[in-house]
Amino acid sequence: MNSPILQLKEISKQFGTVIALDHVSLDVFPGEIRGLIGENGSGKSTISSIAAGMQKATSGQMFFRDEPWNPSSMIEALEGGIGMIVQESGTIPGISVAENIFLGELDTFRGRLGMIDRKEMNRQADEAMRGIGVDHVKGSMPLASLDFQTRKLVEIAKVNRKHPDILVIDETSTALSHDGREIMYRLIRRYRDEGKAVIFISHDLDEIMEVCDTLTVLRDGELIRTFTKDEFDPDAIRTSMIGRELKGDYYRSDMQPSRMQEVALSGEHLYLGEELQDVSISLHKGEIVGIGGLSSCGMHTLGKVLFGAAKPEQGTVKTADGREIKNEQTAMAEGIGYVSKDRDVESLCLSASVRDNIAIAGMDKYALGGFLITNFKEKAYVAQQVEALSIKCAGQEQLTGQLSGGNKQKVVFGKWIGCGSSILILDCPTRGVDIGVKQAMYQLMTELKQQGKAILLISEEMPELIGMSDRVLVMKDGKITKELERSPQLTDAVIIRYMI
Amino acid sequence: METGTLKKKSGGTAGRHLVDLLPFLALAVLFALFCAIVKGKGYRLDIYLKTIFNQGVVLAVVATGAIFIYTLGSFDISLGASTLFAATMGVLTYNATESLPLMLLAIFGTAIACSLFSSALASAFHIPAFVTTVAMLSVLSAVSAQIITTRGGSLGGIGIPKPVVKPLDNPPFKIALLAAFFLLCFFVFQLTKAGRRQKFIGGNLVCARLTGISYNKYAILAFTMAGIGVGLGAFLTLVYTPSVTATTASGIGMSIFVAIVFGGMPISGGARSRIHAALVGGFSYILLNNILELVLEGGSAYGLTQIVSAVFFLAVVYVTSMNYRTALLPR
Repeated sequence: MNSPILQLKEISKQFGTVIALDHVSLDVFPGEIRGLIGENGSGKSTISSIAAGMQKATSGQMFFRDEPWNPSSMIEALEGGIGMIVQESGTIPGISVAENIFLGELDTFRGRLGMIDRKEMNRQADEAMRGIGVDHVKGSMPLASLDFQTRKLVEIAKVNRKHPDILVIDETSTALSHDGREIMYRLIRRYRDEGKAVIFISHDLDEIMEVCDTLTVLRDGELIRTFTKDEFDPDAIRTSMIGRELKGDYYRSDMQPSRMQEVALSGEHLYLGEELQDVSISLHKGEIVGIGGLSSCGMHTLGKVLFGAAKPEQGTVKTADGREIKNEQTAMAEGIGYVSKDRDVESLCLSASVRDNIAIAGMDKYALGGFLITNFKEKAYVAQQVEALSIKCAGQEQLTGQLSGGNKQKVVFGKWIGCGSSILILDCPTRGVDIGVKQAMYQLMTELKQQGKAILLISEEMPELIGMSDRVLVMKDGKITKELERSPQLTDAVIIRYMI
Repeated sequence: METGTLKKKSGGTAGRHLVDLLPFLALAVLFALFCAIVKGKGYRLDIYLKTIFNQGVVLAVVATGAIFIYTLGSFDISLGASTLFAATMGVLTYNATESLPLMLLAIFGTAIACSLFSSALASAFHIPAFVTTVAMLSVLSAVSAQIITTRGGSLGGIGIPKPVVKPLDNPPFKIALLAAFFLLCFFVFQLTKAGRRQKFIGGNLVCARLTGISYNKYAILAFTMAGIGVGLGAFLTLVYTPSVTATTASGIGMSIFVAIVFGGMPISGGARSRIHAALVGGFSYILLNNILELVLEGGSAYGLTQIVSAVFFLAVVYVTSMNYRTALLPR
């Protein structure tokens, strides 16, 4: 390789007294796909967001194309040649796809009378979407009408249309389903072939080893080691990431399906637009039912309908004793918990503390007389969840928005497990969490199953579905196309056959 | 508590505590400044403090009730008009029956009904509650003005005989009333499930809904508490000056908005809402206005007071939101 296109020298970043990065130095070369991996809170997003202008380093120097590099914003960085696709939602829902893509540049579409030429803007937005291989999303569409995955594709198109020399992709693949990921991989390969560089952040070890040329491991804000392709070894990388060897099983060790006789939750002949077409499902106590399919297959909507958060046009959802789930309140009353795929928007209040977020669903457990909240009891309740789930936080009063992705997800789990949910609907529960946290969550799910809880696991990750589910229901175009029992013979290929 | 293997500690909590203390500090500074200016000008401090108290107590009590609405991330611009309308109904009731209990019943009934009507309209038409309060502002102001001008004739106002409420026009009674209402609100806000859920709704409505929390239920509670505050404000207004004119309490709606921000509460409501913000901010706002009027004596005083208040308001919002934004930087 020739000289580096981006040099980060001794970069440190502090948030108050929190050391997020500790003198990290990193060189990225043209034509390189550099993977960044590490546990949640290791500093991957911080270092890449500093290079992409989202925030400033506390100390250290950056050079881009051998020139000092200090972008004051993401827009300036993108104009200068470094674009970033962020982990969480980076779009604005109240405006159109085109307005999102050309945010900050609307003036370039003003005509002589000062009016925005929307036709031209929409045309160019369509072109930007086609530039990443997406035809079905039009510039004129309201962003709010798109699902989470498609919004991510809009973000990708928005960054790609500027043709940056370095593309930073921060934990985006977990927001994308199979086809979305293929689009992203094609784009990454194209950047490499054009002699540009990609910084790719992912928690999926298999994916990152497949996609990247080199892999840098960060831990607790420090650079631990950089692996070249020929040095890639899953065990060595995992050990570098967590500083110890992973012990115990990752997924469930048993390979036989098991469940109790009693049905915990059932949906009968559910219809909702094109997303649910006569879907019937039953979830038994002590069972993990996996739902797999492409992101738009209707599985996320099914999760919402079963929780009462979306009203089916036809059909009913009922609990074991025949009580109908009509809305979220009845679902809560029946002991159903729902972990949304869109964690930051739907599962957490980021401006509230860890304590507020965990306590909010479980107040009935410790409120005196059913309504009176005391500090002592509430803190004890929250401490129990923090301890049980090993949530890394500076204290119960820390804002949830300050936590890393994995710890945010643990807070969501704490919220629903603490209140004693007997039925859990988990929509992509391990999205954006690291390998250590994933293992802990899988072990927790196994324990909950053994306690007789019913779990609906909606996931776009095949190994997760295969590794954890007693049954996998495959969905396509709003219908369940296949039901597969847990067995050693169940593979990705079998599931994919019914989902595409 | 430190959990897991996190080597880092958060400085954000200490920063937030510091910002939480700023409104109290500002109140103390404004109070000291006010006393110094009054004494420096050779005026009687006790009379000026009594005026501040009488102005502040009405604002504080209405604002304390309004905190519940602001916590939900909404606001009610019609609170001043509701106060006027409730007081007007109280005067009419007393003059018709000569009964103080019935007057109180009319005041609180009217205040709560006005508040709930805004909430019910918003719920029925699926529009933000603040939109209906804008309509209520116009309607209640117009109806009150019509009643007052029709019945008040050349006096330009209507009232009840002063001896009826004179025994109540003393600081201990008003302090007791304010304290009782504050404690009730504090109890509901801080120590009950309802209060916690209200804050959560303000923090993230979507997440609250997906946690089984009904917005409508807690909006009704919020508007009821605000209605009680309005009722108390209307009653205290009549206790202070046993008459109402078309301009009585006219500025309270906007003053509450500013006062709550002065008290350190985020304008977006949510988890960082504080019930004491109304009390601290209400008196801070009244002190600031009076300081400016004392300093800027003359014909231009009113306009300048408004401008300086506006600048102060923006500065407070900037400082509080800066802390919030830096605390939520992506990691």
